[in-house]
Amino acid sequence: MTVASQRGDASGSVERYTGGGSSGLADVVEMILDKGLVIDVFVRVSLVGIEILTIDARIVVASVDTFLRFAEATNRLDLYGKGKGGKDLPEMMEGITEGGAKGKTGGVLDAAADKVGELLGGGDDEEEDEEPAEQPRRRPRPRERSRERER
Amino acid sequence: MSPTYVYGLVRADLAVPAGLDGLDGAPVELVAHEGLGALVSAAPTGRPLGTREDLFAHERVVDAVAAEVTVLPMRFGSVIERPAVVDELLAPHLAELDAAIADLDGHVQYSVKGRYEREVVLREVVVADPEIAELRERVHGVPEEASYEDRMRLGELVVGAIEERARRDGGRMHEMLSAQAAASVARPSSDPEQVLDSAFLVPRDRLHEFEHAVDQLGTDLAGTVRFRLIGPVAPYDFVAAAG
Repeated sequence: MTVASQRGDASGSVERYTGGGSSGLADVVEMILDKGLVIDVFVRVSLVGIEILTIDARIVVASVDTFLRFAEATNRLDLYGKGKGGKDLPEMMEGITEGGAKGKTGGVLDAAADKVGELLGGGDDEEEDEEPAEQPRRRPRPRERSRERER
Repeated sequence: MSPTYVYGLVRADLAVPAGLDGLDGAPVELVAHEGLGALVSAAPTGRPLGTREDLFAHERVVDAVAAEVTVLPMRFGSVIERPAVVDELLAPHLAELDAAIADLDGHVQYSVKGRYEREVVLREVVVADPEIAELRERVHGVPEEASYEDRMRLGELVVGAIEERARRDGGRMHEMLSAQAAASVARPSSDPEQVLDSAFLVPRDRLHEFEHAVDQLGTDLAGTVRFRLIGPVAPYDFVAAAG
């Protein structure tokens, strides 16, 4: 099951990480540092240095940087450049929802399988492709961007 | 002293895959108690944990087992004395751990992330909002220092517009994929261009359908949104915090 990575062209623009430790450090970090079962006993006896690894320090810097960054990106934007996807996204989403979801659902699933538990933390380390860290990561990388987004 | 690293918890009838190695290559064993089992190995001593290899080793063990049976993944860095695996971890929490496994049984997790292609979403935003288009014209060719106020306003509007789109589009994507899942979680994101970051608990007999739904999204939105699919992996986002 963990080798389902090679697929035909159907994958389109979907990039995959299937687990198993071959790539995707950021994905792994997000899963196992930020999530997972914690039982009180461990808090007491964990080895030195572990607690530092848990991700809680979230650096919130004013959104100024984000705004300026996007302003510059907008400024540089070539309005008529390539990559314009004919239809706009809402239209496309519309089509997908109508055409795609039909028949797949089949009502098989019992939605009663409630959310199993509360989430641990709110991991949002989304720089998946970058910087394979060579060193023990002692602390989450500081991010000089806004952390203020709520969804 | 026999510090023991715990990877995850399973039903005790699990046969640990042969040759499954944990941190520092230590063999992974099952410590069983009353129907529950802990996947453990000797913990490295004399150094702090947390190297790249440590992280991968933990994930590899958990997900190798999760490929076959339900695992409650422990958070990285769970180390206790060997006797405490039963006395303090398994025995006192039997009922709740067993219930947690039962809840998740027969399911695996997928995470799906989607990011807008910047050029495309920016273009949409500029075209859709006259104020943005006008500010864009105004800062064009003006040095940053001389157009600071305008740039701040422009950036704020652009970020706001992208976030609004992301909420709407991401909500629909999440909803669509949820149709193939037993449970789902939308993670908070702080990145305006991140349109989707959700975890889905998917029944093992629907993996194909779920992956197909993601592929379909990727194909339909190619050039507009880039997707990343992680899984099947253990249900990291769906375990409760005990204790």
